[in-house]
Amino acid sequence: MNLRPILLIAVLLSGCATRAPEPGTSVAESRFDQLVVPGRTTRAELLAAFGPTKTVQFDSGLETWLYTTPAAGGHTELVLLLGRDGIVKKMRKRPPYPTDPQPR
Amino acid sequence: MRHRALACVLSALLGAPSAWTAHAQTAPAEGIQTVTVTYTRDPVDKSYRKMIRGMERFEHEHALAPQATLRLRLLPRAPTVDMHGITLRVIGDHITVPVTVAPDNSFTLLRNEQALQEDAAVVANRKTTSMTWRAQVMTPGLPPGTRRLGDLRLECLVGMEAGLVSNSSPLFGWISNALTSAEQVCNSPDGNFLFFTERPVFAVTLHAGDRTEILPFRYLYAGGDQTRDMLPFCDCQVLLDRTYYAPIWDRSWPDDTLVTFDFMDDAP
Repeated sequence: MNLRPILLIAVLLSGCATRAPEPGTSVAESRFDQLVVPGRTTRAELLAAFGPTKTVQFDSGLETWLYTTPAAGGHTELVLLLGRDGIVKKMRKRPPYPTDPQPR
Repeated sequence: MRHRALACVLSALLGAPSAWTAHAQTAPAEGIQTVTVTYTRDPVDKSYRKMIRGMERFEHEHALAPQATLRLRLLPRAPTVDMHGITLRVIGDHITVPVTVAPDNSFTLLRNEQALQEDAAVVANRKTTSMTWRAQVMTPGLPPGTRRLGDLRLECLVGMEAGLVSNSSPLFGWISNALTSAEQVCNSPDGNFLFFTERPVFAVTLHAGDRTEILPFRYLYAGGDQTRDMLPFCDCQVLLDRTYYAPIWDRSWPDDTLVTFDFMDDAP
């Protein structure tokens, strides 16, 4: 029996399948640092300044947003946590590391 | 064997689930057949044999976490499941063994030859698909709220060997079993074995000697690309904000690597 169609369906439906990650919108780090202040900056301000980007929404009502900025050896991730009120609660940065896989 | 599994898959897909009875008696009486079903086995009940194999795997691979102890743990999978007061039993054709469940919904299994011979199932008093299961390998004495990479490596091997990951349909369970082994999943960057934190997580950092690295965003939240429509197929369904991948396949990180977490509710 040819199992290929079944396998194809499974891969298409699988919620845990590997997919190429979508990069966050690239922004200028200096402008990001000027504008984004945890406890104050709103969702609307982020959209107006930097545009939409990769987000993950949770059942709790919280959201994480990912922007990126160019950096030597790759890009720095700029990660935001937005509260239920749409205000930035936390911010963190992840620099590129020498061990990061190089883009193909 | 594969064709039988495929038939089961197709049956499930077509809306005709074929739950089988572990122990049934028939007795004709005045032309009417009476069927007594003592236990209807859920097609995705957890296999006792597999769980014992997982515990044996822990013993064989104990060098990854020499000081650690093993427990198995139940986690929520469906939005409405009540995780309080869960009871577990090992149920075979002619044997039932109660399992003590701790307040954190962790447990261990004792080896029972009869249950092994009868290919018993480990059954909870909840709909099986409402929960997921994981191994819990914990080295004592770590800083509070941290994990050790060797412990996570062993959790993956035990979890895969024991068949603990709860997919949402027989199709995915079968595909997973057909295409993956513990080695394939735990030693590959594409293994996608999910770990869960105790609270919603914002960042994960690895520390080994002088080397410290924050994990990329794509290592959090099951890759961060799950849509509402896709989530029900992932056993991270209600734990998405507690979900992360650890680079267990990357041997440049030693087993003693410390994994620390920044949680969403930590002070900024």
